[in-house]
Amino acid sequence: MSTTRHLINSRRRRQARDPQPPAATPRTGVALLPPEPAGTAGEPENAPGPEPEAPEPEPAPAPARRRRPGALAVLCLLTLLLGGFAGWAHARAASLTGDPARQNTALTDLARTSEIKGQTGRAVAALFSYDHADPDAFDRAAGTLLTGKAVDQHAALLGEVAERADEQKAVITTTVTDSAVERVDGDRARVLVYADQSSVSTAGGKKKDEAQDEGVYAGAMFAVDVVLRDGRWLVSSLDTFGR
Amino acid sequence: MTSKLRAAPRTARPLLVAALVLTLLAGGFAVCGGWAWYAAAHDDTAAYAGQRDAALAAGEQAVQNLNTLDHREVDRGLDLWESSTTGELHEQLAEGREEFTAQVKGAKTVTTAKVLSAAVTELDDRAGRARVLVALRVTVKAPGAEKTDKDSRMLGELTRTGGGWKLSALGQAPVGGTPAG
Repeated sequence: MSTTRHLINSRRRRQARDPQPPAATPRTGVALLPPEPAGTAGEPENAPGPEPEAPEPEPAPAPARRRRPGALAVLCLLTLLLGGFAGWAHARAASLTGDPARQNTALTDLARTSEIKGQTGRAVAALFSYDHADPDAFDRAAGTLLTGKAVDQHAALLGEVAERADEQKAVITTTVTDSAVERVDGDRARVLVYADQSSVSTAGGKKKDEAQDEGVYAGAMFAVDVVLRDGRWLVSSLDTFGR
Repeated sequence: MTSKLRAAPRTARPLLVAALVLTLLAGGFAVCGGWAWYAAAHDDTAAYAGQRDAALAAGEQAVQNLNTLDHREVDRGLDLWESSTTGELHEQLAEGREEFTAQVKGAKTVTTAKVLSAAVTELDDRAGRARVLVALRVTVKAPGAEKTDKDSRMLGELTRTGGGWKLSALGQAPVGGTPAG
């Protein structure tokens, strides 16, 4: 078979080079050419498929055998088309599912979103509140609700506040008034928090302190990064927007 | 030569079978890919996520617009205010426009705003309503004075209109207000 193909190929090459076909070849050339252009002209990538089959119809051009290269060509074409569509469809699907809007499940996963909101709100309230009479509660909150760099950030933000509260025998209470989950990506999330802080000093004596008995309210806003650890959302970073 | 010819159909059959197998395999992949594509394109959750992001982007931009005003370009600024809003808020802004223009031109202030962070708290996809929190830093420059920064805790309400999501209410979170779930 390889000799036949070789022969045909070299003949074809010669035909392509010479304008006038050699006298010996016209019969075979006509017999083998008709099925071939159907495959090669329409679909150039298809060429390797039908080509090896081309020699077969040449010696005995029976109708049943002549159909075979056609069937093969159709199959190859179909394979290419289907394969091409499959690749394209997979790429489309991947680009759709890989869309950042979809990877963020804030609000789309309502259960998780409200779980994050609730736990973050409670964590912020505990982490930013301080009672001079019960400093252990503050330490406990810092020990259990923080992780990563939030530990240092929290210490830097509240260390001084706690000291001053001890001096003034103050009670600082933080209440989350509003919060929204910006982003949920698996076991990480970012929450924007609006909180009110009230500070009530119970140290008597000085007039300055008595004025503070009324309580001082301050509004705060910050973003909190949380991570899921052992079923609980822990604060991993505090963003006070450069304040 | 004759033996080679007889061998030909026998070699053609496995080739045909192989081609058929390949075609079927490609068909399988095509069906699989088509299904994945269809499922991804008709995912309700994805549509909801798209609405959430559209509302957030519009909310951030609108809140920023409404906190930006240059006394040298009051008209352009106020046009932007009006095009960012809808409903009652839009009417209020349109009504107070002249008075406001006079005020800003008199004070000669340049106000700029930067969104620090923002998120959607509620989204009603069908009704086309959303609520957003926007943490904003507003910078005011008055003539002969230093720039002053002020952080604002904005609460915005958005309504979906023919021209996209627009701000229908805007206010600041009250300090010392009642806590909300």
